[in-house]
Amino acid sequence: MTDVRAPETDPFDPAAERDDQPRPGSSSPGGTFGLADWLKWAWRQLTSMRIALILLFLLALASVPGSMLPQQGSNPASVQQYYVSHPALAPWLDRLGLFNVFAAPWFAAIYLLLFASLVGCVVPRTFRLAGSARTLPPRAPRHLARLPRSAEYTIALPPGDAVEVAARVLSGRGFRLRRPDDADLAQDWVSAEKGYLREAGNLLFHLALLGVLVSVALGGLFGYKADRLLVQGQSFADTVSALDEFHPGRFVTAADLGPFTMTLNRFDASYISSGQQRGQPSAFDARVTYTEQPGGPARTFDLDVNRPLSVDGAKVYLIGHGYAPEFTVTDARGHVVYNQPTPFVAGTSGNFLSEGVVKVPDAQPEQLGFTGVFVPTAVNVGGTLESVFPAADNPVVSLIAYAGNLGMDSGAPQSVYQLDTSAMHRLTTSPQVLQRGQSLKLPGGRGTITFTGYVPWVSLAITHDPGQLPALICGIAALGGLLLSFMIRRRRVFVRARVGPSTGSQRVDTTVQVGGLARTDASGGFEAEFAELAAELRSAHEQAAQHRHEGE
Amino acid sequence: MLRALSPGLRRRTVVLAAAVLAGVLLIVVLATGWAGSGNDGVTTVDGNASAVVYAAGHRPLAPGFTATTLTGSKLSFSSYRGKVVVLNFWGSWCVPCREEASTLAAVAAKYRPPGVSFLGVNVRDTTVSALAFTHSFHVTYPSVSDQSSAITLDFTAKVPIAGTPTTLVVDRTGHIAGAVFGTVTYPDLTAILAKVG
Amino acid sequence: MPVNVALGHVSNAFLIVALVIYSLSVVAFAGDFAFGRPRRAAAAASGQQARDRATALASVGAAGAAAGPAPVEPEVPAATAGGEPVDDAGSMPELEVPALRAIREAGRWVVAAVALAAIGAAAHTTAVITRGLAVHRAPWGNMYEFVTALTCVAVIFFVFAMIRYRAWTLGVFVMGAVVVTLGLAETLIYTAPGDLVPALQSYWLDIHVTAMTLATGIFFVSAVLGFVYLWVDRYTRRVAAGRAAPDNGIVRRLPGIEQLDRLTYRTIVFGFPVWTFGVIAGAIWADQAWGRYWGWDPVETWAFITWVLYAAFLHARATAGWRGRRAHYVQLLGFASLIFNVLVVQVFIAGMHSYSGVG
Repeated sequence: MTDVRAPETDPFDPAAERDDQPRPGSSSPGGTFGLADWLKWAWRQLTSMRIALILLFLLALASVPGSMLPQQGSNPASVQQYYVSHPALAPWLDRLGLFNVFAAPWFAAIYLLLFASLVGCVVPRTFRLAGSARTLPPRAPRHLARLPRSAEYTIALPPGDAVEVAARVLSGRGFRLRRPDDADLAQDWVSAEKGYLREAGNLLFHLALLGVLVSVALGGLFGYKADRLLVQGQSFADTVSALDEFHPGRFVTAADLGPFTMTLNRFDASYISSGQQRGQPSAFDARVTYTEQPGGPARTFDLDVNRPLSVDGAKVYLIGHGYAPEFTVTDARGHVVYNQPTPFVAGTSGNFLSEGVVKVPDAQPEQLGFTGVFVPTAVNVGGTLESVFPAADNPVVSLIAYAGNLGMDSGAPQSVYQLDTSAMHRLTTSPQVLQRGQSLKLPGGRGTITFTGYVPWVSLAITHDPGQLPALICGIAALGGLLLSFMIRRRRVFVRARVGPSTGSQRVDTTVQVGGLARTDASGGFEAEFAELAAELRSAHEQAAQHRHEGE
Repeated sequence: MLRALSPGLRRRTVVLAAAVLAGVLLIVVLATGWAGSGNDGVTTVDGNASAVVYAAGHRPLAPGFTATTLTGSKLSFSSYRGKVVVLNFWGSWCVPCREEASTLAAVAAKYRPPGVSFLGVNVRDTTVSALAFTHSFHVTYPSVSDQSSAITLDFTAKVPIAGTPTTLVVDRTGHIAGAVFGTVTYPDLTAILAKVG
Repeated sequence: MPVNVALGHVSNAFLIVALVIYSLSVVAFAGDFAFGRPRRAAAAASGQQARDRATALASVGAAGAAAGPAPVEPEVPAATAGGEPVDDAGSMPELEVPALRAIREAGRWVVAAVALAAIGAAAHTTAVITRGLAVHRAPWGNMYEFVTALTCVAVIFFVFAMIRYRAWTLGVFVMGAVVVTLGLAETLIYTAPGDLVPALQSYWLDIHVTAMTLATGIFFVSAVLGFVYLWVDRYTRRVAAGRAAPDNGIVRRLPGIEQLDRLTYRTIVFGFPVWTFGVIAGAIWADQAWGRYWGWDPVETWAFITWVLYAAFLHARATAGWRGRRAHYVQLLGFASLIFNVLVVQVFIAGMHSYSGVG
C-alpha cells in the first residue's frame, strides 16, 4: 500500500518540528557536556514553542505594573505624588524599575528573548519554504476513499484521458501537480497541492513584528519629543532653549530641530451650555501663523486636537489649553515691574479652576510673590469660590501675597508654577478676590497688583519620529501575513482513474476517484471547496466524454 | 528543529540567525548606550565641558540680526563688527541668569577699556520685567528683545545653544570664538576673552 | 448638530424589545434541551470519528502536535475512534442538508429559538442604528454604546456560526450571556445620547473603535464557548475518574469536545486579525491626536496585553501539553484582560483614554 507520506520531507508532517522534551547533551556521544553543547541546548530551548509561550506570558505580566503604577515617561508628576503618599515603598519600586517599566532592562530582556526565539524559529523555516518551492506533492494514495473527503463516479473515458482532464482542471485552479513517473507502473493518477502561501504569510507576520521592533528603535534613536506652552499672542521659534521640554533620541542634536517659528494668533474653545453634557468641550480651535524658516512666507493653520500641523519634518500637536490671567504689578517706588499674562494650570476640581503663581523678582525694595486661583465662572458656594462652567463667563482671581526672598537669585532653577515661600512672609491674612480690573493694594506701601484680564494658552507637542512610517508599514504587513496564514489552507487533492466495471459494451468505462484532505481547517470550508472541485471535475469529464462520443 | 536540515543548511541557518540576533541587539545597545560625537577645533576651558573656545579657522560666522532694545531703539548686530562682543542670552525669570548677572557686570566693567562690548539678548521675557532686572542688577550694557527666540534660533544653527543662560564671545571678524553653555563664571569668561583677544 | 432626543428614545425602546426577545430565545433554547428532539449529535460524532480515523490513515498530522509559530491545527485523532467501518468518510453532514431544512429538522424548540434570536438581532441592530442616527456619529462613543454594539456583533456572529455548524445547543449559553450583559448595561451604565468631546471627533473613531467593537463582540462568543468547553472537559475528566455519572443529559446534547475546541478556535482566528487591525488603527489615531503612536497609556497597554494573550492562545494550540484545557484558560485570561480594560482601566485609571462617559 502506498504510504501517503512521501519519502522526501513532507511539509504536511513536520515531525522534525515537534516540540520535544529537552534533551541536553544528546549531540555529545562521549557524555561530556562542553560549552558548545550547553549553547546548543540553550538555543534549542530558546527557540522552542514552550519557551516562546512562557515569554509571551511574561511579556503580558510584565506590562501590568506599567499600567497600574505611574510611569516616569508619561506622568512624572504622578510619580512624585506616589513618593509622597508611599514614602517607604516608592524607593523600592524605583529600584526595581517599576516607575519606568517599558524602558527597564528586564522588560527589554523579555521582548529581546522573545524576538530571538522568533528569529531562531522563523529563519530556518524561511529557508525551508524557499527550498520547498520546487517540492512536488506526494504520490496519490491507493485508497482514496479513506481520505476525509472523497467522491467517486464513472465516466466514459480512457483512464489516461480522464487523468489528463483532471490535471487540466486542477492546474487551472492553481494547484501544483505531480504525475506518475516510470517507477509507478502503469498507474493513472495525479496529485495536486495548493496553499503554500500560508507558510509565507505566517513568516511574513513574524518578520513584520521584528520590523516593528526595529522601527520603534529607529524612532527612539533618531526622533525627538518636545513641549511648549504658548500664550495667545506669543510666538516661539523651534529651538531647544525656547522649548519647555526637549527629549531627543540618542543621535539627535539641537541642530536637528526644524527652524520654524510659530505664533498663536487666537484660541477658541466652546463648551456645551445645557443638558446632561453641560460643561463638556464641544470644539477647540487654535489659529496659528508659522514660517517654515526664518524669513520665509507666513502661513496660517487651524490647529485642532485631531489635526496636527506638519512642518519641517516634525508634527505640531494641540495637546491642552488653559487660562493665563494678566497682572500688572507696581512696586513700592511706583514702577511697573510686572505686566504680562501668567499661565495658570487647571486642577482636578473641574471646570478649569486653575492655580498659578506670580513672581516679581525685581520689585524694590523686596521681591514679591503671589499664589493665585483663577476661577473662570465664579460662584460663591457657601463661602468658597467655585467654578461652575469652563468658559470665562465670570472670571475672578483670588490672590495671596508674599514678600521676601523668592530664592531666584541663586541656586537651582525653579518651576514657574510653584512659589517657594520659605524665605518670604505673608502680606495678606486671607485670600483676596479680584474682579477684572480690580487692584489689590499691598500693605506697607509695597505696591499694587491689578488683575487686568485674561488670555488663553495652549500646550503644544512637537514630535519627530522617523520610525513611524516604517512601523506602520510593518504593522500592515503583519496584518497581511496574519490574514494570509489564517485564510489559506494547505490542501491536497488526488485523482485516480481505473478501468471500471465493464458494462458489456465496447465503451471504456473508467471509475474516477477523487480524494482530498486539508492540512488544517483553520477557516473551514474545505468541505465546500472539495464539493465544488469534485463537481467541476465531474462536469469536465462529462464534457470530454461528450466530445469524444461526438468525435467517434 | 535544526536536525531536519542538512549540515550545510544548518550552519548557514545558525550563522544567519546569529547575525540577525546580533543586529537587533546592536540596535538596542546603541539605543541605550552610546552617546557623544567628536568635533575638531573645539577645546574646553580648564576641562570644563560647558565653556569652549573655537580655534581660528573653526569659528562659525555669527548671524546678523536687527532688533529692538529694551529701551525701544533699533539695534543692528552688524554695527558691532570690528569689536569683540560678549553676547549673553538671558531672562529675568531665569535663576542662573540672576546668579551670573554680577559676574557679567564685573567683566564688562573690566574689559570696557580694551574695547570689549557686551550685548544682552533677552529671551522669553517682557520688556517690563527685563528692564526691572537691569535696574536691579545695574546692568549698563544694552539688551535686545528676542521674545520669540528667533535670534536664538539663528545662533543655534551655528553653536549648540541648549538653554538659558548662554554666553557667546564673538571676535572682531564677526565669528563666534568662544561659548559658555550655562552659568558664566569669572575665570571661564576671562579665560576665553584672553584667548580671543 | 443637536442630538435627536426622540430618536434616542426610539433606540432605547428597540433595545428593550431586543432584550425581551433574546430572553425568550434563551427560554426556547433551554426548552430544546429539556424537551427537544434527541440530537443527531450522535450522528455528527460518528461522522467525526470516521473522519478522524481516516485522518489517522492518511497520516496527516498523525505525529501529533506540530510545532512552529504558525497557528496550525493538526487533526489529532480523538480517543473515541472505534472500530466502525469507514463508510461515510465522503459524507458532509453539515452541508448535505441546507440550513433552513436543518433548522426545521432540529425541532420546534430550535425553530422558535433561532427565529427569536434572529428577530431579536434585528431589533438590536435597529437600536444601534437609530442610536447612531440620533447622535449623528458612529454609535460607540461611550461605554454604554460600546457594550450594546459589541453584544449586537456577538449575536450576529453567533447566529451565523450556530447555523453554519448546526450548534443549536450552544445557543442557551451565548444568548444567555448576551441577555445578562445587556441587562447590566441598561441598568448600570446607561448614558443618554450626546455629543463627543472634541478629542473623539475624528473619522478614526469610526475605524478604531468599530474594529475594537467587532473584535470584542467576536471574542465575547469565543469566551462563552471557552467556558462551555471547560465545563464539558471537566465533566469528561470527572467521568473518567469515576466521580460523576456518565451520560449527563446536557453534555450529551452539546457538541463534542473537539468540535467545541475547533469552533472556539475558528472564532478567535476570526477575531484576532480584527483586534490587530484595531490596535494599529488606534495607534494611527493616537499619533494624530496625541503626537505619538504608542505611549504605553494604560488602555494601550492592556490592549497590548490582550493581544499577547490571544497570541499565546494560538501558540498554545501548537504546543504539546498546552492544547485543550490550558489553551482555553489562556483564551479566557485574554478575554478577562479585555473586560478589565473596558470596565476598570478606562474608568478608574487616569490616562488619555478616559472617554467612557462613566464616573
